[in-house]
Amino acid sequence: MATKVAAAAVDFTRIYSTLGLGKETIAALQAFRKRHADAQRIHGQYASQPTTVDFSHYRSVLKNQAIVDEAEKLFKDFKPVTYDVNAHIKAIEAFETKAVAKAQETAEKIDVELKELQATLANIEEARPFEDLSCEDVGKAHPRIEEAVATMVKKGKWTVPGYKEKFGDLSLM
Amino acid sequence: MPQLIPFYFVNQLSFAFLTLIALVYIFSKYILPLFTFQQVIRLYITKLSNKS
Repeated sequence: MATKVAAAAVDFTRIYSTLGLGKETIAALQAFRKRHADAQRIHGQYASQPTTVDFSHYRSVLKNQAIVDEAEKLFKDFKPVTYDVNAHIKAIEAFETKAVAKAQETAEKIDVELKELQATLANIEEARPFEDLSCEDVGKAHPRIEEAVATMVKKGKWTVPGYKEKFGDLSLM
Repeated sequence: MPQLIPFYFVNQLSFAFLTLIALVYIFSKYILPLFTFQQVIRLYITKLSNKS
């Protein structure tokens, strides 16, 4: 029952299109789905076939009754070999829990990345043009500049070497 | 008493000195460092834009 519920819950088209999986992963997933569909088809095919043998019909048709008796005896004695599938199921369940945990972890990671990207996008959208930049903004962004200027002023250094050559000044002398 | 006339200006003189001291303090602490700050930032962002 659990498998049916899981199959109903998984929307494969969404997985293929929206999760951005790699080509190899999608190919593996498709192969797995095909295998599952094939297994289901074969199972349905064999389940619909009759499992009983009408021995009375053979008794009426065949002259050799002994062979029919022997066949019936063999048929009744036949017991299908039972496999212990619990180990397999356990392994599959362990794998499933691991896969689910990993998927959740990946989803959380992607959520965090998405949030960061959105924050970056908002930052880019809200950024002001270069002309509107003020000294205060630069000072806030780099407090080290403020500290450097404070030490410069304390030491009595009021000018910046190279500034006059680059930008000039307004003094007439 | 004309000999006291210079002392009538002590009031003005003391206020003038106090104002001068206050102006020197305000300019050196709050106004003039802003010009240095501006120069440093101008050079900094120019270097940044040259790098990129």
